[in-house]
Amino acid sequence: MMLDPITLEILGNKLAAATEEMCVTLQRIGRTLYVKETADFCCALAGLDGRFFAYPRSIGVSGFVGLNCLATIAAVGPLQPGDVILTNDPYRSLGLATHLPDLHVITPYFHDGEIVAYGWAFLHCSDVGGRVPSSISPTNSEVFQEGLQIPPIKLVREGVMNADLELLFRANVRTPDANMGDIRAMLAALRMGGQRTERIIAQHGVAAFLAAQQALVTYTSQRAHAVLASLPEGSWRFSDYLDSDAVSDLPVRLAVTITLAGGGIHIDFTGTDPQLQAAMNIPSAGRVHPWLTLRVMALIATLDPGVLLNAGLQTPIRMTAPEGTVVNPTSPAAVGVRHAACVRVNDLLNGALGQAAPLVMTAANSGMIVPVVVAEPNGRGGRNVQVVEPMTGGTGGRHGRDGIDGRDPSISNLANNPVETVEAELSVEIERYALRADSAGAGEWRGGLGLELCFRIGVDDTMVLARGMERAVFRPWGMAGGAAGANAEFIVERPGQEPQILRRIDMLQLRRDDRVTLRTAGAGGYGNPFRRDPELVLDDVRRGLVSVAAARDAYGVVIDSGALDGAATTALRAKGSPTAPSSGPERAAWDGVFAPALLDRLAAVLRNRPIAARQAEKTRLYGAVLAGLPDGFPATAASDAATCAAQRIFNDQIAALEAAPATGALA
Amino acid sequence: MTQPAGQARIGIDVGGTFTDFVLFVPDRANLVHHKQPSTPDDPSLAVADGLRVLLEKAKLGPEQVGLLMHGTTIGLNAIIQRRGARVALVVTRGFRDVLEIGRSRMPSSFDFHASKEVPLVPRDRVVEIAARLDRNGQPTQLPDDAALAQTAAALRDLAPDAVALMIINGYTNPQVEGALAERLAALLDGVPVSSASVIWPEIREFERTLVACMNAGIQPLMQGYFDRLQQRLTDDRITAPIFVTGSNGGSLSVATARLRPVETLLSGPASGVMAASRLAGQAGLARIITFDMGGTSSDIAVSSDGEPEFATRTEIGGLPLVLPVVAVSAIGAGGGSILRVDAQGMLKVGPQSAGADPGPVAYGRGGTRPTVTDCYLVTGLIDPDRFLGGRLRLEHAAAERALAEIAAQLGLTGPDAAAQAAWGALRVATSGMVTELFKTMASRGLNPTEFALLPFGGAGPTHANLLAEEAEIPRILVPGPAATFCALGAVSADLRRDFVRSLRRRLDPASAADLAGLFVALNDEARLWLAGEGDLARSVDFQHAVDMRYGGQAYELRVSLAHGATGLADIAEAFHAAHERLYGFRDEQAPVELSTARLAIIGRVAPVALPRLARADGAPIPRGRRPIFLGDGWIDAAVYDRATLGAGQRIAGPAIIEQDDTTTPVLPGWDARVDGHGNLDLSREET
Repeated sequence: MMLDPITLEILGNKLAAATEEMCVTLQRIGRTLYVKETADFCCALAGLDGRFFAYPRSIGVSGFVGLNCLATIAAVGPLQPGDVILTNDPYRSLGLATHLPDLHVITPYFHDGEIVAYGWAFLHCSDVGGRVPSSISPTNSEVFQEGLQIPPIKLVREGVMNADLELLFRANVRTPDANMGDIRAMLAALRMGGQRTERIIAQHGVAAFLAAQQALVTYTSQRAHAVLASLPEGSWRFSDYLDSDAVSDLPVRLAVTITLAGGGIHIDFTGTDPQLQAAMNIPSAGRVHPWLTLRVMALIATLDPGVLLNAGLQTPIRMTAPEGTVVNPTSPAAVGVRHAACVRVNDLLNGALGQAAPLVMTAANSGMIVPVVVAEPNGRGGRNVQVVEPMTGGTGGRHGRDGIDGRDPSISNLANNPVETVEAELSVEIERYALRADSAGAGEWRGGLGLELCFRIGVDDTMVLARGMERAVFRPWGMAGGAAGANAEFIVERPGQEPQILRRIDMLQLRRDDRVTLRTAGAGGYGNPFRRDPELVLDDVRRGLVSVAAARDAYGVVIDSGALDGAATTALRAKGSPTAPSSGPERAAWDGVFAPALLDRLAAVLRNRPIAARQAEKTRLYGAVLAGLPDGFPATAASDAATCAAQRIFNDQIAALEAAPATGALA
Repeated sequence: MTQPAGQARIGIDVGGTFTDFVLFVPDRANLVHHKQPSTPDDPSLAVADGLRVLLEKAKLGPEQVGLLMHGTTIGLNAIIQRRGARVALVVTRGFRDVLEIGRSRMPSSFDFHASKEVPLVPRDRVVEIAARLDRNGQPTQLPDDAALAQTAAALRDLAPDAVALMIINGYTNPQVEGALAERLAALLDGVPVSSASVIWPEIREFERTLVACMNAGIQPLMQGYFDRLQQRLTDDRITAPIFVTGSNGGSLSVATARLRPVETLLSGPASGVMAASRLAGQAGLARIITFDMGGTSSDIAVSSDGEPEFATRTEIGGLPLVLPVVAVSAIGAGGGSILRVDAQGMLKVGPQSAGADPGPVAYGRGGTRPTVTDCYLVTGLIDPDRFLGGRLRLEHAAAERALAEIAAQLGLTGPDAAAQAAWGALRVATSGMVTELFKTMASRGLNPTEFALLPFGGAGPTHANLLAEEAEIPRILVPGPAATFCALGAVSADLRRDFVRSLRRRLDPASAADLAGLFVALNDEARLWLAGEGDLARSVDFQHAVDMRYGGQAYELRVSLAHGATGLADIAEAFHAAHERLYGFRDEQAPVELSTARLAIIGRVAPVALPRLARADGAPIPRGRRPIFLGDGWIDAAVYDRATLGAGQRIAGPAIIEQDDTTTPVLPGWDARVDGHGNLDLSREET
């Protein structure tokens, strides 16, 4: 059946709205904080192929539009009306769920005895058991530590809740009532989806309903192709780092090659580090997965803001994500904080796409999300645990526009907490919550500024958690000659002691009147800063975002008593622009030893080792090389001689590995 | 200030295009209406000019005017267009970026070219001061005279028209910030200082700062306007007191509005909803959805038993406003929304709008892209010769040509192609509105089919039946004077003001007692205010509510408390019950937390009795007939002149009912009855 464009427009509208009504139903009834406040949930309608043909536009998690329900549906066998499938298992759902606290439910919608669509809902519940409360910790090394794994299984059979499953589930989680409340909210959302589906079929007929599913996905994929076809064809490679794997100071390398051709894009993560014995692995099942394609979908929606969100956004994408790497781990790799790696995957894709589309993409965003959490004694033997602020930085500069100061919605568009509500809940005093001056990467179009949060502890025996502390070593890179942003800093001041600068924080034990300061990274700048309009620099100085010294040093703009000195500026700029590397001195020093070509060879040779052995092999190798370099490298610079020697050692080690026989076939 | 019996009450609504007037005299049977073109450069001119015409129409002298109730969008437009006064902001040291950081969200997580909102006060006009309270209301820093003099000097360098002040935790003890504001004002020779905590002592520093900045930003503008208006009225020998309608659907004296203009920002839409609520009450409709369709968009609001729903978080020009306002939600297209066919051949309606200038193609003012209004015309729903009572002649042929182009792009052919495209666009617009309406209702757990639709605004009645049919809303009440509806809302507005105080405590006997004490204090404050507003009020009502949550929950629920029900058990039960009603569960084991106490005082003014329409017997006589296009070919519809209809008469669809300022189509399968007040009561025929 061929639908006319008016009916298709109307059906597109109604179906998207149906998913939004599912979402508001879920949000209204849902129990936990993730649902009410951070909107970490979504609902959608999937076709018989398990892909979403209708997705909400203005509510819920946008990025999951690219998920695929088919493996989960297939796993449970034939479905009856009233059945509901539940899963949170990243491996057995082939990446539908991407960490255990995300509960996913799917139900078939029948018409005249046939399945005509599936309803889907997910939410991030408070806790699914495991080693730590809330189930997530970066230092978990196996998925078994992260809570109860629920393979795709029928939670509801023909409208009747599976009591045995509920019993088992309740026994294994710390917040059984809240979780069951959340599950009931999802079931209500699925029922709402069913009612709306029936209503649409009654109004337009089942043939139109089925035809629309296909036509809407085709419509979006045409628009997505049109956007990608507007970019030049070719291949581009890019790599970036996580400062650490959360359990050691060893950086984690992510590398990608993108190939644009004929309106399609191939994303190849070959060269990315082996999967980690920490919880930052992204369980993509090696497929075209939202967590590995977010920036591409964002690019499409940026250049075509009216595009209807559905699986058609993914149609132009092909994926190579080698098995056993951070971007396609195998069980039992832990995955709880996969979003930390996703932040960097986003930077990676951004950097690769930026070479293809330098007028569209931005320099690096701040690239960090750090929920600063305080847990203080509540006087009743327990602890009062609250998020002070979810700290992020700015977004990168781009051709023609400065980045956004102090905000970055690219991974999660979270609202912050009012200082006054924090102080009403905790005894900390927040002394400063402000933009961080001089943190932005300089450029003709500068990056967005980072933020600064400073607070004083109010009672002894207070714990502070700051997980996701990143970009303290490797800075957000600049683009097209723009400078890197300032790196993140975490400082603890204890009365009578020297301030302590920390590179990696899991949990800190503090006393009354200790002071904590977190400065997030500034985003990268775009274009040569010496070409920035001096009036814009003056404006930044007037607003207190750039110091007079930085105006002179980074921008070549001389400001005297609040006024621009045109002649001195011209003279200073004539001497030539600064030559600092766009990726920052730390990355340059690192690359001096761990050259990209060597790392690609290392990745290739590690692929011939068993998956379980790769991380250990990598750690051994890096340890041997780093032994000859100063402590704190690359934040601490090494001499040229030491750098050369270290690179030689690295080269030799890789050559030895290449010569050794493979100790196991590909996993 | 007492309004002598028999004196006229006049409602005025200053809009962007027209200034509308409604005049009510208690012992007369009819309301008098007037529409005057607005004078945006000095809106008081149109008010004064229009008043003269209105009084002439009503055959009244200036001394017979007892009261002016006035709504205006001057403040709103200034904030949306960021052209308010030059404001400087003073904040606690360390929080200079309170406006830059905001709540840190962006409009989209996908669109990385999106920009963030422009802050109301730029960073170079934000001055820090060493002033702060702790969470218990104790000052931990306060500036001495020397420090304050420095702040004042810094402010003078910025040459502001107005100053806003916000100190962290100021809400806990508004007197401290108020006193600081007075000390500062004394050093600033006449520049007004708006204290955030005095205006609105609610927890959350960003939102409270915005209240103060908005107030400061529109204050000079509004005061100038009131001065000019007062002068013009004095010149015309009108000495009646002026009241200004508020965003909460009530009204304030000019004296209050001069101090707290921020309370008037959304008075226009609020007045319309209030008028609809009263009208529904008189017509015996308990639950209504109002539907206001204007040029660029359509808005709905929900009202039950004469009381509209209120929101304590709305958005103005991309910024949140936390003052209580009548809850109005945008649901999509307006009459000026533009049609287009995209590259993939799909038909889109809006969000671009042709506005009033150039307006729809049919206006003949240079518009080339067809709009929803052009679709009404080409499908025959409106008459080109009788639009706005014939004051604006529409160009049917031009509209048809423009729609024929859309039809060609859609692949539609044949003699009816333009009408088919027009009908298609109306379906697209309608389905868009209905989906938004469903979502708005779903988020409140309400079922739209249990409500009646009450349309107003120029195009509201024209689109109402299409909307109701698609949404399965069984009943529509179309009021008589559609276009001067907001002015009608103003003339019948009660005095009303809202008061808050945040306390953030766990609910226990001590905090319940404190809450009761707080309400007593707020009651006194409210009574004091009302006493200063003159003696319009016939009776006084108080409404009490508290924002509450279960311990650990991140969201709060606004819970109404019955008068006097401030005992611990009453409060707890009110919360459990409200939570269960909205969210489907209660948790009596969990601790309950109190956050913000809210009190509204309502001074009821003498009601405006709507005039009654004389009965008419027998079938109404159509003025004529014309073909209309509703998808399946042209059908013949009788056309009625609304002015000729009497109470009790019935009209079966398909039919068109025309009046001076709008047109109401009655679809096949629907039936219209004229009620005793002259409202059109449409319902679906029983099948």
